[in-house]
Amino acid sequence: MRSRALAGGVVASAAVLTLGWQIGAAQVSALNAASPVTNSAGSGSTSSGSATTAPSPSASSSSGSSSSGSSSESSSGSSSSGSSGSSGLSGSSSSASVSGTFDGATTQTQFGPVQVEIVVSSGKITDVKALQLTNDGGRSVQISNQAAPILRSEALTAQSASIQSVSGATYTSQGYMTSLQSAIDQAGL
Amino acid sequence: MSVHVFDTMGTVVSLRTPAGPLDDAALESIEDVFRSFDRRFSLYDERSPLSRIARGDLALTAADAVVRETYALALDWRTRTDGAFTPHRPDGVVDLSGVVKALAMHDAGTELDRHSPDWLLTVGGDVLGRGSTDGSAWRVGVVDPDARDRLLGTATLSGTRRALATSGVAERGQHIWRRGPETFVQVTVAADDVVTADVIATAITAGDLEDLDRLTASADVDVVAVLADGTLRATPGARAWVGR
Repeated sequence: MRSRALAGGVVASAAVLTLGWQIGAAQVSALNAASPVTNSAGSGSTSSGSATTAPSPSASSSSGSSSSGSSSESSSGSSSSGSSGSSGLSGSSSSASVSGTFDGATTQTQFGPVQVEIVVSSGKITDVKALQLTNDGGRSVQISNQAAPILRSEALTAQSASIQSVSGATYTSQGYMTSLQSAIDQAGL
Repeated sequence: MSVHVFDTMGTVVSLRTPAGPLDDAALESIEDVFRSFDRRFSLYDERSPLSRIARGDLALTAADAVVRETYALALDWRTRTDGAFTPHRPDGVVDLSGVVKALAMHDAGTELDRHSPDWLLTVGGDVLGRGSTDGSAWRVGVVDPDARDRLLGTATLSGTRRALATSGVAERGQHIWRRGPETFVQVTVAADDVVTADVIATAITAGDLEDLDRLTASADVDVVAVLADGTLRATPGARAWVGR
């Protein structure tokens, strides 16, 4: 249990998570250990992670109820018992195909209780959020305003976007003539 | 939608008023705001106080109060950005164009408020708005730095987030003096006021990832940054602009 709490503490550090952007098997297992819902199957391998792979945004809860055996009802992030090798969770996904939302342990910070959540898509972390927890254990706003890597979505053609203005690097009077802004000005959008 | 376009400060102003055109006197007063800033601060006009200061013909301390106060404001931003933004060109010339365009937009906005509840002001790629258009928030495209006829995404001006500014290496390479190797090719910042948006965009563009983290933590801004390697970074408030 002690080592698990330690792992949870590590996971709760967004800095650590953002450093290791490519999720590795070790990180997956650490996350599983820290997550109240996910079950760490004996070996500590990448077997779970599927605990929250349901399409729903986040299946994690503070109950820890899915695990078998010992104490795990608190929301402290102390994770499920290490005893059972398998609970109702399906295992066996490899790290490359791990997808879902994973929560770290709750830590006390200057903002109050904070929990780090990551979103994993096909084995890669696509999002890291520091969630501030409300008194009743619910989530509130993200507390960090850090600019995190984000996948570039398909570039929009100007025609497909309903816009009235364009923000871009400063253009000269000459540059304006060939700019998108000039086009939408002429169109009277 | 009424669109009024005019040239000033070496760039172009686009003013939108959904309820129809403003009368000539109102338009004149708004154009005057920009002309007045340009007369004082242009380094392209050799008669301007800033040009005289640059030549050594006029001491900064002897310049008029508006010039001195604007210089003080720029110095304040230099402190707040830990030097990433600076009014001092590498050759020693005092160049206040990093704040002047935004200050002119701010003052023009105050003037516009007297004439219309809904307006959108775009000046050389920086945007300040008030109200809405046909009941919807103003929507602003963010240019893709790799293809200036395409958009990286769209931002919405809503609530107190009324200003959007983009700084980049493209187009007109003024008042960005990098502190190190190029980290960012384009930085777009939303803020409640246009001076903050413009200065923070410039400061991040001039800096590195540490500057980005420090400035997004200390200033009330939403940021989308395009890195030199083509990847994107976005603060939580700016994620919706670029999808995902």
